[in-house]
This record gives sequence, structure tokens and C-alpha cells, in this order.
Amino acid sequence: MALNQLFFRKTVIAGTGLFLCIFLVVHLSANCILLLPEETARGLYNSYSTTLRESPLIKLVAYLLYLSIILHVIYALLITLRNRKASPQKYVMNNSKENSTWTSQNMGLIGTMILLFIVVHLANFWARIKLGMGEAVNLDAAGHVDVYEVTSALFHNIYYVIFYTVLAIPLALHLHHGFKSAFKTLGFYHKKGLRIVAKIALVYAIIMGVGFGIIPFIVYFK
Amino acid sequence: MQVTFKIWRQEGPNDKGAIKAYEVNGLTEDMSFLEALDHLNELLVLKDEKVIAYEYDCREGICGQCGVFINGRAHGPHDNMTTCQLHMRSFKDGDTIVVEPWRAASFPVLKDLIVDRSAFDRIIEQGAFISAKTGTAPEANAIPIPKEVSDRAMDAAACIGCGACVATCKNSSAALFTSAKINHLNGLPQGRTEEHKRVAEMTYQMEIEGFGSCTFTGACEVECPEGISIINIAEMNARVAKSKVFG
Repeated sequence: MALNQLFFRKTVIAGTGLFLCIFLVVHLSANCILLLPEETARGLYNSYSTTLRESPLIKLVAYLLYLSIILHVIYALLITLRNRKASPQKYVMNNSKENSTWTSQNMGLIGTMILLFIVVHLANFWARIKLGMGEAVNLDAAGHVDVYEVTSALFHNIYYVIFYTVLAIPLALHLHHGFKSAFKTLGFYHKKGLRIVAKIALVYAIIMGVGFGIIPFIVYFK
Repeated sequence: MQVTFKIWRQEGPNDKGAIKAYEVNGLTEDMSFLEALDHLNELLVLKDEKVIAYEYDCREGICGQCGVFINGRAHGPHDNMTTCQLHMRSFKDGDTIVVEPWRAASFPVLKDLIVDRSAFDRIIEQGAFISAKTGTAPEANAIPIPKEVSDRAMDAAACIGCGACVATCKNSSAALFTSAKINHLNGLPQGRTEEHKRVAEMTYQMEIEGFGSCTFTGACEVECPEGISIINIAEMNARVAKSKVFG
């Protein structure tokens, strides 16, 4: 029978989305190292990032990660285009806020903000450390690439601190709707289970939003 | 009671259409919304103007024929209610009430507030039935069905096909309608013999009719007059996956 694009595309978005949710947990855990006293944080952070860069397993996960982000974005774009085509004429008056959340109605817009963030974020770190673009990164006392210095310098620039903190808001909103919807898209239809998933989604989104949003500020004032 | 209706007027499918305002006096709070439109139409007849075309049948909230977008909500300001069950007491004297037809590429406007919902019929034709021998109904206790199973099937079967789910969905997705029809039959032993074929064909038809995809805003279950739960869509997603593997 047919490909069932409607289902296939949503399944890809949900699957990659949940994978990225797991990634964010690992990412935030690592960021917590930045909260330690300066010299401990520098040593731990740099040795952690060196371990990651040198592990073949992490290399594989990293490629999966790039692929997930790209697929998530492409398929989101494809379904958005199709959905626009399905509803070409808008209502003169639409009180959608009375039957659904603003977040659920604007996942595309929120997602675009996050994509913008990812581009800036990759330019800040990935391009400098992995691709060697821009100013060269020094080694620390243990001979590791001093990623801590890059992070610390970035978060002593108030504009970047504000940018990173403000964009943690769309991240939290996106995760809240995305996490719970992904389960439904993937066919989880247990009524009580879905209620638990909704609660987990809220807690998860708050932890991620607050966590990613507040760490740059703490580093700024350190 | 006096209100100003702002109503979408459109001569035919190819006409551009526009909102037109009508000030209407002499309404009472006891009037249903459709009676208020009837009243307006009588005034238009007296003025030798074209009446406003809109659909209705039972006016008892069970047939699913009526259905317009009122003040930005499918079937008006209340949750889980048909247009015909809406009364003028839900509005205040002097209110402006905006009335529009369902908007979706798959529901083209035929005239004024009437849309063509035959896309739903074509989805139904693809398998929202069971193949059974006609004749006398079999003995009721011949097929035991647990209460929870029959309750879930009946909850899904309550769908009256009004189209509010599509109308309120930002993606014009027919997922709530199609999932209700699929789960109603696939949940019962009588429907199980054709379950995979039914899922594959009905969802395929839903797709080629041009409906959008479900992004779980949850608007549909709020506007659905029968309160059909959005969990039906999650169940349909599971059934689609199952039909891919076993179908």
C-alpha cells in the first residue's frame, strides 16, 4: 500500500526529537561541571571534552546527532509546507488560545528560534574547537584543549549570556510540547501512561529550560 | 436582544467571498443560534435579498450537519457542543458575532456557510464498515465483549462527522475523525478480520484527500461535540504501525 507520508514524516520527527531529548540530558549534565570552583571545573571540563572527542563511540553518536537535527528540521519543514497547503485560507477570527496552547500552535516558529540558536552555538564552539576556525584555542596545564576557557570567555560577554538565556525559553516550550506529543505520535495510547508522560514532559522542560538558561549567568558572575 | 452578525457571504465555489455585516433586532435569549440565523434570513427575504445558506438537519445535536465557525471557535464559544445546541443566551445584547464556514482545502466552500464534506464520505467508503452476512442479527451473547472494550468502541463510534476537528485544526488534519472511525471497528471482534486493510486504506484516503498531519495541538478534542479523545489519534498511529508490520 501507500507510503503514508503523514505518518512516516511525523514518526521521523518524533523519533529524532526523543533522541535529541536524551542528548540534552547528557549535555546539561556536562554543563553542570561549569558550576564547580574554577580550577576544578577547568580540569574536569577539559578532560571530559577531550575524552568525548577521542572516543570512536561518541563520534558515531555525534554523527547520529547531526543526522537527527537535520532530519528533524527537514521533515518539520515538509509537514509544515503540506499543512499550510491543507489550510490555505485562514479564519477572519480565530480564538485558538481557547482550545489549545500557544506553544502547540507555534512549534514551527519556536523550532526556528532554536535552529537559529544551534547555528550560533555551533559557531561559538564546534567551529572553533573541531574545525579550528577563528582564534586558536590554547591547551591547559594538563595538555587538554582548553574548552573551559572558550566557554568562560563567551559567558563573560553579556550579549551572549542574554542570547543563551533568552533562547532557553523557546527550548523549554518546544521540549514541553514535543516530548509529550512524540509519545502519541509513536503510538503510545495508554490513558494513565500519557498523563504521566505529560507530567514528566513538564518537569523535563522546566529542568532543561532553567538549567541551560541559568548556567551562562552563573558563569558570568563567577 | 440586538446583535450584529458578521457573516461570510460567498456566491459559489469560485467566488471570492467576503464578510458582510447585518444588524439584527428582535432576538430573544431563548432562541437557538440557528433560529437567530433563520430570523435574519426572514428579514433578508422581506428585503428581497439572498438568504444566507447554511446546513442543518436534526437541530438536536446528534446529526452533525450544522457546523460553522462562530467568533473564532468551531461550533461557537462552548466546548464540546454542536452549533444547533448553542443559544443566544451565550451572547450579550449588542455583541458582534463573526460567522464563517469551516476552512480547509479538503472542505471547499459551496455557498456562504456551506462546505463540501464529502472527503469524509470517501474516507468512510474505504473501510469504515464490516463485511458480514446480512439476515437475522446473530445471538447477542455469541460474541462476548468486555465492558471496557465495548465502552471504548462506543466512545469512538459517537463521532457524528461534523468536521469541527478539521475546521479547528491549524493543519486541517482529519486525524480525530479517521481515528474514531478506525478505532470504533478495530477495537471490536467484528471489525478485526479486516483491521489492517481498514487502517491502511482509510489513512491512505485521508492523505490523498489533502488533509494535513496531526501535531497534537489538542484543539479538536475541545471542539468535538462528542468529546472524542485525542488519545484515539495515538491509538490510530499504533494501528498504522501494526498494519505496516502485520498487514
